[in-house]
Amino acid sequence: MKKSLPIGPIVVVVLAALYFVLPLIATLNFSLSMLRGVWSFEAYRVVFHDERFRSTFTFSVVAALCTIVLGALLIVPTAYWVRLKFPRMRPLVEFITLLPLVIPPIVLVFGYIRLYNSSSILPFTGSAMGTNVLLVLGYVVLSLPYMFRAVDTGMAAIDIRTLTEAAESLGAKRTTILFGVILPNVKAAVLSGAFLTFAIVMGEFVLASLLNRPAFGPYLALMGANRAYEPAALAVIAFAVTWVCMGMLQVFGSQTPGRRRSGRSLFRFARRANR
Amino acid sequence: MASVGDAAASEDQRATLADGASRRSFAWLGVAPFFAFALLFLIGPTVYLVFGAFQDPTGALTLQNIFDLFTPQIMAAYQISIEVSLASALFGALFGFFIAYAIVHGNLPTWVRPTVVTFSGVASNFAGIPLAFAFLATLGRLGLVTLFFRHALGINIYSYGFNLLSFSGLTITYLYFQIPLMVLIIAPALDGMKREWREAASVLGASRGQYWRMVALPVLAPSLLGCFLLLFANSFGAVATAYALTGSSLNIVPILLYAQIRGDVLYNPNLGYALAFGMIVITGCTNLLYLWLRARAERWQR
Amino acid sequence: MTQFHKRAAALAAALSLSTAIVAQAQAAGNQSMDDLVAAAKKEGQLTTIALPHDWCNYGEMIDGFKKKYGLTVNELNPNAGSGDEIQAIKANKGNTGPQAPDVIDVGLSFGPTAAKDGLLMPYKVSTWDEIPDDAKASDGAWYGDYYGVLAFQVNKDIVDNVPKDWSDLMNSDYANAVALAGDPRSSNQAIQAVYAAGLAAKPDGKPEEVADAGLDFFKKLNKAGNFVPVVGSTATLAQGTTPILIHWDYNALASRDTLKGNPKTEVVVPNSGVVAGVYVQGISAYAPHPNAAKLWMEYLYSDEGQLTWLKGYCHPIRFNAMSKAGKIPQDLLDKLPPASAYEKAKFPSLDAQNAAKAEITGKWDSVVGATVK
Repeated sequence: MKKSLPIGPIVVVVLAALYFVLPLIATLNFSLSMLRGVWSFEAYRVVFHDERFRSTFTFSVVAALCTIVLGALLIVPTAYWVRLKFPRMRPLVEFITLLPLVIPPIVLVFGYIRLYNSSSILPFTGSAMGTNVLLVLGYVVLSLPYMFRAVDTGMAAIDIRTLTEAAESLGAKRTTILFGVILPNVKAAVLSGAFLTFAIVMGEFVLASLLNRPAFGPYLALMGANRAYEPAALAVIAFAVTWVCMGMLQVFGSQTPGRRRSGRSLFRFARRANR
Repeated sequence: MASVGDAAASEDQRATLADGASRRSFAWLGVAPFFAFALLFLIGPTVYLVFGAFQDPTGALTLQNIFDLFTPQIMAAYQISIEVSLASALFGALFGFFIAYAIVHGNLPTWVRPTVVTFSGVASNFAGIPLAFAFLATLGRLGLVTLFFRHALGINIYSYGFNLLSFSGLTITYLYFQIPLMVLIIAPALDGMKREWREAASVLGASRGQYWRMVALPVLAPSLLGCFLLLFANSFGAVATAYALTGSSLNIVPILLYAQIRGDVLYNPNLGYALAFGMIVITGCTNLLYLWLRARAERWQR
Repeated sequence: MTQFHKRAAALAAALSLSTAIVAQAQAAGNQSMDDLVAAAKKEGQLTTIALPHDWCNYGEMIDGFKKKYGLTVNELNPNAGSGDEIQAIKANKGNTGPQAPDVIDVGLSFGPTAAKDGLLMPYKVSTWDEIPDDAKASDGAWYGDYYGVLAFQVNKDIVDNVPKDWSDLMNSDYANAVALAGDPRSSNQAIQAVYAAGLAAKPDGKPEEVADAGLDFFKKLNKAGNFVPVVGSTATLAQGTTPILIHWDYNALASRDTLKGNPKTEVVVPNSGVVAGVYVQGISAYAPHPNAAKLWMEYLYSDEGQLTWLKGYCHPIRFNAMSKAGKIPQDLLDKLPPASAYEKAKFPSLDAQNAAKAEITGKWDSVVGATVK
């Protein structure tokens, strides 16, 4: 069959690119106008010279990675077992995962301060490390809807029942099934959840500022309070650097040595073994 | 003979029962962390909110806050919130689906998918003041695109009734983070649409429309509905962007809520909690609707 | 000295006599300065909230405090509003971690309500008697720190004819130009702006009448197409969406300095309807570092502290007493808008503020805010 130029998809992607890139160009344009009448990177120079930019950015990147790992560890088994064993529990789990979208984060963080302050049973806020842990847990809560929906949708696309039975019939243990069979097959889904989580944590403001941790979100807000050009430069920088970090996540995440991307390989192997 | 067979059968039965029991207890272990986590870090603060909705500033129980929700101003706010959320979720789901399909099954060069997917990751969280400002700088009265149309093409889009600071302008801005969210979440599901189905359908004589109507969409329906629900809730809770863009002219619930909970002035946090409680109720109802629709869509998959 | 300053000075003089005795007793009750410094140094840290560095030159204030006494300053949430600060105190009751604020800086109307809820620890600084009486609580729970008046900041690149008064804003020259720096349903700054517009129309009305006149003004402004409903900021001013921004003069002047002429902006105090807004300081009743908090207050109300605020274009509360004593350098005075502009400033009383707020926040949506379709 002759491979014709996919006009439809190309048009769609080009139009989408226009819609998404134009506002960024407008922001970039504004950020380059700090010095009157000339294009200059003055706004960027001011931003990069700020030591707080580097320290808060690093803090948020580390927090984001911790959130992704913790979130994946929490959600993938849950989604798997709910789908496999407790399908009737699914509506409850889904409702819980949708709660963070409508509960204002400010209510969440006030709840945390009241429940876990220095005079409670779990004194998270008593120490800096404890507050960091609480912050990451809060981030996991915020990313719950996206992570769960991505993983759940990914699991719907593969037949986990057959995969599980096949692996069991080959004598695999529970953990092997989860980490050796299921996880690689939902890798794309977990990755897309990870991207969303990363972006959320980088921009998050309310939790970080009220728990008083030196994260990137409060720094962005501080810069944006009374400056005109630096916030635009910051927005562009944050966008670009976050994109690069995600690119790296994508590269490291989809490396599957010696295994094809589709999940059908194990499928066929299992079917052949059972014949 | 029968007794041996029976014994063997019952032993098998007992074995599978015991096996099942241990499997089930193992499975409980699997979901327990999630529920413990949810209880400690999500339900806990929510309970605090729900109680707050039924208390007055002195702490006494009251239904007054709930009654206060039914004032015309707040009802109008809920209505606009729902309308904006529906509009942005609908268009976000639609456009997001097309883009996701284009990059997954569109035979585009291999670098397109990772680029679009990572970009979507970043764009899905580009919201609040930076997004509002970016759109003001693009489609505002002195925005880049507006000026381009005026100077290069001689068209003044504002004279045609377009206004960024309006319902449609807000929806267009919301799409900036709704579409990427849809792309990211539906792409893995589209991965699962096997090429063999299309081939089998065409071998059996189905046209493209019939393939979509009778094979692809029913399979995708639960995922599509789930994503639509997520987009709706996402938009329903978004406040920073709307606030930064339409500030004092658009009256949506999260803005009211924020004004009460963190208000600079007339500060009634209990009313704020009641507003948030109302949002939870609405999300709960949408969830129920989604479950019912999904149950119908998943019937054939059993 | 200007009329306004004369009036304030007379008031201060009349009352200082009666408060002198109380102040004496108070000073005897206060620790000596050295003891306070030692106790504060032992605590080692001060936690502040809602102090952006560009607001009233708090950046320099905090640096000066750190350098003078060697304490660390833990700055929470610079973008917090007055309501956030009160909520932060309430939420952190029993929490001595770094999320609990020691000191707050809130709008005038928040002082009495916070004191009533038992959230403030009374303290009277050594310069207590130089603070005007209507700007402090008699028991020392809260006390005024600085004030400013509402002004127009105009982007000269876009607007040629700079408006001089509220009525000028209705001019067709200013289509799609005028914006507030907050949401009038929740932001103190925006509400006072509406009140100021009303004051220009009805200078002698009761608070509710003035509020209604202000709402009416903005309704007409919106109908004329001159009002932009965006929450204005320095960025939107420079970008062009909100070329005329109504906010506190100290914010406007600081913003003018940040922009460094790109674009050139002019700050104008309107001819009529000049409303002054006072902010107040308070120490949290649950402050984890009470001595550091008290030392901070002493620093703020010292000559050094008050002049630092003046450098940020905010009129410190001891302005009259200090200028009478000749403590204010002329070059600082020159940087401010002319003193004549402040002569007509009105300080709305607490009751007037509360009444006006109720009116404006309740009626904004129905009177001005068009349901956006």
